[in-house]
Amino acid sequence: MEKRDIELVRALQNEEIFLTERPFHEAARLLGWTVEEVLGRVRCLKEAGVIRRFGAALTPRNAGFKSNSMIVWDVEDLRAEEAGSLMSEHPRVSHCYIRPRFEGFPFNIYTMVHGSSPEDLARIVDELAQLASSSSYRALHSLREFKKSSPVYYPKALEPENV
Amino acid sequence: MHTTIDGLDALILNRIQGDFPISEDPYEDIGRALGVSGEEVLRRVRRFVEGGVVRKVGPFFDARKMRYLSTLCALAVPEEKLESVAALISSYPEVTHNYLRAGTPNLWFTIIAESKEAIQKIIGEIEEKSAQGPVRELPAKKMFKVKVDLKVGE
Repeated sequence: MEKRDIELVRALQNEEIFLTERPFHEAARLLGWTVEEVLGRVRCLKEAGVIRRFGAALTPRNAGFKSNSMIVWDVEDLRAEEAGSLMSEHPRVSHCYIRPRFEGFPFNIYTMVHGSSPEDLARIVDELAQLASSSSYRALHSLREFKKSSPVYYPKALEPENV
Repeated sequence: MHTTIDGLDALILNRIQGDFPISEDPYEDIGRALGVSGEEVLRRVRRFVEGGVVRKVGPFFDARKMRYLSTLCALAVPEEKLESVAALISSYPEVTHNYLRAGTPNLWFTIIAESKEAIQKIIGEIEEKSAQGPVRELPAKKMFKVKVDLKVGE
């Protein structure tokens, strides 16, 4: 990434600015750029997919989704791409990945699924099982959250010019 | 924290999840579309953040396009070691998620760093300090694009 983009990424990681009236003006002030420069570059990064989404992340539990689970699926390798693609289109699936299986753990597709109640979650899992054409799955309910944070990209301290 | 979500809240939440305006006055723009003032929208968004309904407003970067690598890791940890091992793992800024889950392995965490070597170094340190055997490394072979859009108030 270019130096200017790294500076922009750093400025945009100040989450407080998005709780002010004019966030991109705030970013411009931090950077010493014009707001037009900030908006232009942010749109470019979004267009290029470097910013994959601009918006709010919910805490599902507090937004009415009381039953959330990581459901892992065992789908035949040849069919995994198709199954993953179908499941990722389900509106209650927020993450969907193919990952390697390992000894004693035959599951190769990982989904994060959000339901409003245990019954709702069970219904969604049934729908996904049909989409994946697989009834071999395991629900890895989270029992405790030790950490949940956003990654920090290009932390200043690690940059050579600041060492 | 318990927060009641009304009809306007749901409209705002559904609007800002995937499509925060990249403009000079984003809150005014959202307000105009919903028939309320920009101040009202911002006031409610601040309340969502304070109440824990919204975890973050801002950009979500594609780690790979930022030249970062990430991986999911799993480790089996016995009950009596759980606190100390979980604390050790969470202490790394590169670890962004760390959960106790049902079944074996039971501790699931993600690492995001600038290189394969940086990830390996962290895994090596965790293996050495926790002495719980090898960490299972489960990098995504394929990541499906999801449109994160949990419809609130359905």
